[in-house]
Amino acid sequence: MTMTEATTSQPGIKRFIGMDWNIGALKSADRRYWSFVALLGILITLGVMAWILVMTKGGTVMAQRDGFTWGIWFANYMFYVGLAAGGLVVYASVHLFGAEQFRPLARLAVLMAGCLTMIAVLGDLTDLVRVWRIYWFALTPNLSAIFVYTGSAAGIYMVICFVDLWILITGKGGEKLAYRMTLIALPLAIYLHTTTAFVLALNKSRELWSTAVMVPIFLTSAVASGVALLLIVAYIMQRFHVLEFKPSMFRSLSTLLATVMIFDLFLLVAEIAFVYWPSSAKIGHTLRFSEFLTGPYAGIFLPVLILGGTAFALLSRRKTRHIPAVQVTASALYVVAIFFKRYTLMSMGFAIGTLGQPQAPYFPSLVEGLLALGLLALAVLFVTLAAKVLPLRVPEHEHGEEVGAPHAVASGDPALESGAAL
Amino acid sequence: MAVSLWGWPERIARSPLVRALLASAILTLTMFILLPVVPAIAGQASTGKLLFYPCTDCHPVTVDEVTGKPSHPIPIDFKGHGIVLEGHDVLGKDEAACLTCHDDSEHNPGLLRAVDGTRIDVKTGDIARLCQKCHFEKYNQFKQGTHGKHLASCVAAGCHDPHTPQYIYVGPLAPFLGTGFQIKAVGQEREPFRPIMPPPLPPATVTPLWYQIVAGVGLFLVLVIVVGLVRPAVVERLKR
Repeated sequence: MTMTEATTSQPGIKRFIGMDWNIGALKSADRRYWSFVALLGILITLGVMAWILVMTKGGTVMAQRDGFTWGIWFANYMFYVGLAAGGLVVYASVHLFGAEQFRPLARLAVLMAGCLTMIAVLGDLTDLVRVWRIYWFALTPNLSAIFVYTGSAAGIYMVICFVDLWILITGKGGEKLAYRMTLIALPLAIYLHTTTAFVLALNKSRELWSTAVMVPIFLTSAVASGVALLLIVAYIMQRFHVLEFKPSMFRSLSTLLATVMIFDLFLLVAEIAFVYWPSSAKIGHTLRFSEFLTGPYAGIFLPVLILGGTAFALLSRRKTRHIPAVQVTASALYVVAIFFKRYTLMSMGFAIGTLGQPQAPYFPSLVEGLLALGLLALAVLFVTLAAKVLPLRVPEHEHGEEVGAPHAVASGDPALESGAAL
Repeated sequence: MAVSLWGWPERIARSPLVRALLASAILTLTMFILLPVVPAIAGQASTGKLLFYPCTDCHPVTVDEVTGKPSHPIPIDFKGHGIVLEGHDVLGKDEAACLTCHDDSEHNPGLLRAVDGTRIDVKTGDIARLCQKCHFEKYNQFKQGTHGKHLASCVAAGCHDPHTPQYIYVGPLAPFLGTGFQIKAVGQEREPFRPIMPPPLPPATVTPLWYQIVAGVGLFLVLVIVVGLVRPAVVERLKR
């Protein structure tokens, strides 16, 4: 397996920061492509206007208030950071564990991880209202606040994802550097997801958040939803002839997805059983959780169980697991389920206040909703443009069969150590 | 042996023991006859029986559009409910105390306001949910069966007179029948309790009109584009 440096032999291709940017592809793009870009442009414009409103009018344009101090941005922060995990799983599988079947997906996976983390961080910034206060956040951080750690980790992780993408595309540093970057990115990703879960779990006064199972449940949800989204995007890329994948890759991905799904669902059911177990149930916990099973929040929590269970049921049958429609449907159901889960998770801490008073259920205002949509559209626009402009397709000669190659680096393979094979 | 009017031997009729037994029997019989029909005798709020039900007879749910007043006036001779609160006098004075639990008089006071903002029918609803508003911990004990939840008639207002909760009915009754024998079984000293505040209303958000218009136009354009993108694929599939 080798990684080659980019070249600029074709017309319409510009070379910038060591990468080939196929600007000519945009000129030859069809009307459907530009219609979709226009759609994203409208949503981004509405989102930017919403953000300006937040900055000029203040929190009054948002439905998050004293009772619900965090809103849709935080649900999305957890959701996007989790989705980014899918990219890392694939990237690490290739470069750390030699899962060669995922190699054609590596560039797309890292690009998606970077874009998703970017909008997670941007959403975080919108909550500051006066966004320039980030200066003080960076200059005088409150080291006992967990947001300092998760926020900075998200920022660093985003940079690392884009650097990883650059390394994968340019081939600079070769397999050796890609392997070393994985060694940095993997623990950083675990750190990011753990600290994000800690944002909730360390709140002792919010009973449903304060649970030790929060970190593992967060990680499993993140990996499952991330892999599910990656699978969907891979199918879309294949549908529009941007990338090509073997059916065996989708089969491996869906098997991985089903495995993580069942762990995720198991942890969720175990948590519910713990809350309601007669000999250990605490009034505060059961009262709060009942809000989500039978109360006003049931509409957003029960879909987590129903959609999640359905998705797993679809993928659990070995005979039908390889069918693309089954894979895409199950993945879409699970991504939606995890969004509901993140929204529920955010609501769980606020549904009943710390003094015991129930809060009116939170629903994002128009400004919040369009701000969130605008950020999502921004990430989709990045991926849409990259699909045309960037060489996301991994060259055929890089589809190596040397499954143990990364380990060869560790064992001092001279070819890889020197980068001569690149 | 002389024979009395009732045909009993006079000697037996004069016996003090027999007279005492007879008197006891008559007294017991009278009590059994009268108890179900007399109002509860101890609690001053024994008017809690469903004398005024349905409340909408006097408190109509419709308001006259012209006068802005209830379309059915309160009966002229009506002097009020005469309910005296004891224990629950902490809820306030006059109408303010009533409105702590009951829906306002221009609507339907037969509906009680639960802590989550929903309404409970005074006759058919789960009255205990009303008590939850203040007696949060007691309510949870009650829900967990401490007070025998498996008895059909065992609801909070089946034992406690809701207006004078220190008084309890000797036997649990359906709520507000108010015909049971009451005893004052709870002391005047109040247990500390944690009231649950009613849910605050969702915050009013400010969205400038110009942004609403721009968002409407923008979302309409998005919809048009989505339809334009999806339509060919759907048409193609339908043709197949």
